[in-house]
Amino acid sequence: MKLLVIEDEISLRQSIVDYFTQSGFLCEQAGTFQEGVQKADDFQYDCIILDINLPGGNGLQLLDHLRKDKKTDGVIIISARDAVEDRIAGLDLGADDYLTKPFHLSELNARVKALIRRKYGSGSSVLEAGSLKLDLAAKTVLVHDSLVSFTKNEFELLLFLITNQNRVVSRQAIAEHLYGEQTDNLASFDFVYSHIKNLKKKLKEKGCGDMLQAVYGLGYKLVV
Amino acid sequence: MSKTLEQKNTRYLLTWLPLVLLLGSVLFYVILTGHARHMQEKQLELKQQNIWQAFAAGSLPMQIKGEYSITKLSLPVNDAGKIQDTDSGYTVLSKQYELNRDHYLLTTLVTSKEYSHLLVKVFATEIFVFMLLLFSIVVINRKSSKRLWQPFYKTLQAASDYDIAKNNSFAPLAETGITEFNQLNKELTDLAAKNNKAYSNQKQFVENASHEIQTPLAIIRSKLDLLINEPGLTEGTALLLADITQANDRLSLLNKSLLLLAKIDNNQFPDQERINISQLLSSIIANYQEHYDNFPVTDLLIADNIYLTANPALIEILFSNLIKNAVVHNFPGGYIRVTLNGGEFSIENSGMSLTIEPGYLFERFRKGTSDIKTTGLGLALVKQIAQLYGLEVLYTHQNGIHHIKVTFGTGNLPNLS
Repeated sequence: MKLLVIEDEISLRQSIVDYFTQSGFLCEQAGTFQEGVQKADDFQYDCIILDINLPGGNGLQLLDHLRKDKKTDGVIIISARDAVEDRIAGLDLGADDYLTKPFHLSELNARVKALIRRKYGSGSSVLEAGSLKLDLAAKTVLVHDSLVSFTKNEFELLLFLITNQNRVVSRQAIAEHLYGEQTDNLASFDFVYSHIKNLKKKLKEKGCGDMLQAVYGLGYKLVV
Repeated sequence: MSKTLEQKNTRYLLTWLPLVLLLGSVLFYVILTGHARHMQEKQLELKQQNIWQAFAAGSLPMQIKGEYSITKLSLPVNDAGKIQDTDSGYTVLSKQYELNRDHYLLTTLVTSKEYSHLLVKVFATEIFVFMLLLFSIVVINRKSSKRLWQPFYKTLQAASDYDIAKNNSFAPLAETGITEFNQLNKELTDLAAKNNKAYSNQKQFVENASHEIQTPLAIIRSKLDLLINEPGLTEGTALLLADITQANDRLSLLNKSLLLLAKIDNNQFPDQERINISQLLSSIIANYQEHYDNFPVTDLLIADNIYLTANPALIEILFSNLIKNAVVHNFPGGYIRVTLNGGEFSIENSGMSLTIEPGYLFERFRKGTSDIKTTGLGLALVKQIAQLYGLEVLYTHQNGIHHIKVTFGTGNLPNLS
């Protein structure tokens, strides 16, 4: 999988590149508008992570340029601006997703994976992770080939953890993923805990309790 | 106690003008009587002269009653002649004359009654004129000052309509026809312009600062995400990281709320639509019920199809914050009661007593509890959004029951349809 990260803030860009490289992506990076245009023109990427404020130009212009060029690379905009108009402008120009800074890398990862699944999925909507099989269309879960019922939130949580499998996902990231960005809601961590508890219980009943690990009060990890 | 300019002005006039007029009347009376007396004396002397000349020519008798009397004196008296008033209402002049070595005393009389009558009449007329004067001065003064101060009252109205947050256009008349008022209006206009500029700079500053803070926050967050995935993490380090993550997330949340407040301040939510708040409320509550494990016992009295015209994102924040507030500040086994009808929304919940004055509850960064999990901006946002749409928010509490009521103002009556 090839990824292009266009972000002027070198430190943030490096974090994104590191995270995705660890996940097995092939990452290219660009720090300016010109560099971004050049790389996007020269290669085909599965996904482009695009900042809006760039030295030399605007990320939305870059997106416009790409789409006019009939380039179909998946694009996820990352921006410090979270006005609805910016979001709509980005999506209107053909962005696939929009994420507001600051975001969790696990959330960005989930968005990239979802985008890739949507865009390049081979028709099958089943996601496999170890002994788990998630049917994304039917929202059903098979553990060791037997159906286990999960609530909507538990399903979303499981999907998020599978997307970020073998990595520690912080409680904050889970809370934001489940409750949305605008949740002025640090209290929701307690509820993340209770979802995790239920999830673990259901997995344990099928003998998969060890898959889900708590990491010292930091977060959780789904080991495959 | 303060009085209006007009009342004050009239009061001054009514206090001092009668005094001046009274003094004027006394003066007038004194001068008038003086002049009258003088004229009477002159007349008397002239009359006496004429009588004496006529008598000396031998054409007059010794006495005409009510006019004069002449008596022959045996011895001249040392008397230069004097004017006297008699009790019978005459003014009398007696003087010695000498004719053919004989001495005569001529006493001439004029009636003084007519003079005093005239005096009284003139004085009465004068009093009447003065009263008329007093009345018309007061009336004219009231009328003219009303007209004169007209630009001032207009400026006053403009100043009272001025609101730095909502209506910051302040444009009193530039040309009032009165130099002082022109100057006043100019100074006030300049002052308002300066204020507006300072206010907008400050608002812009908050927004820009919040924007700028987003990037470093994003960097810290991404580095933390990488750090928690480092192999060989010890429990001690993990706990440190957990604390840093939590603090950083709290900072992000604060910053996001501040940015939102600044944006509302800067009027960046102009688009409005008709929102079915009955549906919105039900979905927010259902959503929270799903997310929270120990959701309080909920009592819903939500009327169907209540609409409000506002920005959907802001209205959602308003109701979510109020509901979340009632849930978060509840205790296990507590309850919330939500009521919505055409005129108001109200939410009641059990909870701990407040540690701050209820009046401060809607101020920024004021918290009723020292709960680390809240930002202290949730209710400030509620207040700001309510203000934007002319909704009235009222908080009351009694015996651990908290009650917040949002009244839909007349400016934005939800329509039933």
